[in-house]
Amino acid sequence: MLSGTATLDELAARAPVMASLDAPPVALSDVEVLQSTFELPYSSREPALPPGLHPTTPALLVVLAWRAPSSPWGPFTMAQARVSCRSGVRPRGFVAGCIVDTAVAASGLAGSWGLPAVVGRVSLDRRYDRAELLVEGPDGPAAHLVALDPDPLGPDDVQFTVTTTLATTPRGLRLVQLEPEYELRRVERVHPRLLVFDGAQWRQPALRPYHPVSATVAVGQVTIPKLRFLSRPDVNAFEGTEKI
Amino acid sequence: MRFGIFFELSTPRPFVPGIERQVYDNALEQARLADELGFDWVWCVEHHFLEEYSHCSAPEVVLAAMAAQTTNIRVGHGAVVCVPEMNHPIRVAERAAALDLISGGRLEFGTARSSTWTELGGFMVDPDDTKKTWDEFVRVLPRMWADEPFSYEGRCFSMPERNVLPKPVQKPHPPMWVTVTSPGTELDAAERGLGCLGVAATTYAEQERRTQEYHRRVQSCDPVSTVINDQVTTLNFLYCHEDPDRAAATGMRMVQLFGLTNSHLLWTREAYPTRAYQSLGNLAPGGSSDRSGPGDPRGIPEGIGVGDPDRIVSVIQRWESIGVTGINFFVNACETISQEDVLASMRLFAAEVMPKFREAASVPGGGGAC
Repeated sequence: MLSGTATLDELAARAPVMASLDAPPVALSDVEVLQSTFELPYSSREPALPPGLHPTTPALLVVLAWRAPSSPWGPFTMAQARVSCRSGVRPRGFVAGCIVDTAVAASGLAGSWGLPAVVGRVSLDRRYDRAELLVEGPDGPAAHLVALDPDPLGPDDVQFTVTTTLATTPRGLRLVQLEPEYELRRVERVHPRLLVFDGAQWRQPALRPYHPVSATVAVGQVTIPKLRFLSRPDVNAFEGTEKI
Repeated sequence: MRFGIFFELSTPRPFVPGIERQVYDNALEQARLADELGFDWVWCVEHHFLEEYSHCSAPEVVLAAMAAQTTNIRVGHGAVVCVPEMNHPIRVAERAAALDLISGGRLEFGTARSSTWTELGGFMVDPDDTKKTWDEFVRVLPRMWADEPFSYEGRCFSMPERNVLPKPVQKPHPPMWVTVTSPGTELDAAERGLGCLGVAATTYAEQERRTQEYHRRVQSCDPVSTVINDQVTTLNFLYCHEDPDRAAATGMRMVQLFGLTNSHLLWTREAYPTRAYQSLGNLAPGGSSDRSGPGDPRGIPEGIGVGDPDRIVSVIQRWESIGVTGINFFVNACETISQEDVLASMRLFAAEVMPKFREAASVPGGGGAC
């Protein structure tokens, strides 16, 4: 059974700090959502994850972007890069990096929800023939993704895997389970092209997505509910899961 | 009630030299013992690239070896992936007929379409197409086995007149099945007159609902052939020991490890949004197809064939009462249980459990003519 082999000390050094675990739910309306998947080489399967998580084969890099016209932190656009994994038997996506275009939103997403958000430039542009995501991290271009030729899908045809993110919480260093709920009203499958991806900007230089699989663009409401579970990053979920 | 053993040929890490050979040798020995003990079926899956979970990518070869080493037990494809990038339909018909010859007419022919991105992506298959190609395969294969010559113009393949050879021993062809993972596939099986080869964990209540609906629909089916296979089987785990505590401890290790290795597959829906895969397909207890029943004091989930003989008898009686006509068992997973203990479990099951259900044994093969 494979488990993650990332060094916890290195991951901990860049983990966000959460002051509490009881942030109230946040509902974001009319959010433009883009999710795109790319296969990663087998060589980056275990090194991308902490020991408490198990990799999938093949590992997937999931690029997720939200453009929220309003929020408690004002309008913001966010992009995440995460790696497919399992917590025990449950599907998860471990967040490698998260770039947000406003400092207020970055601070809110990090402090309340444990996302390792840093401030950068993020734009998500959706047209009739394509969607385009441009992400620039603090030190340079992070991703440029173009997704072409939309085909309509139903709202239930898309899987948004639960997010897990490493943060320093009041209970110590923990994997935080984040379960955004999506109520989508317009969903399209598009063909992704990843023109630029620099793993270093997402804090995982070894991440080198090489094989595009799919992409989805959608519009709808995204709700970040109250946190329910944490788990220890050093042991598997059967031993290390904690209820909040 | 009929009984089978079911092989994924799961192989534990580390993949040291000889480990796969050991797994295969153990499976062959288990198949020989199952034959001696009077089990009805031995099934092999077809999976590709699924590290640890299944190293059974050439089931036609494994089943040929099992057929050659056994006398009575029926050998089953559980199942052939009906996707042309993986298996051309002509080759499927040829190999199945050859296996039916080798086994002396003991082939059961299961069909499937694969549920993981690991497999579909590896063969560069468009997930949107797999239901369509499966449907085309199951309608064409019976004709390939019967028609002399055969020709076809279809969607996923076409061919001019040829005689597809050899022809199977069983006439008109081996019993055909569909593996059922996602809810609703049992209806696809019923509507085509195909047997329902359950491969997903379900509760008694869910299985009862599916079985009743299957039997209702198969009565008015439009069969893909001149025969209907109206059997409904489920997949289960088997570890039988006189000491219920030891049975639970050993058997549940197998159940849990199977669940873990299964849940670590990359499901199609996770990678590729599509209408063609509405559920993840995760078979692990605790996953999306949770067996959520009350279980028992030793932590054995509802309906699982782990325990002492009396417990397993009661479990099977419950499955039988809801219309299931056969149960296929994993007897090991990732070599969690020693080969000696696996064989002992099978022997105890055959001695203490199987006789209680033998009077209900039916004729070999599928159902009657339509």
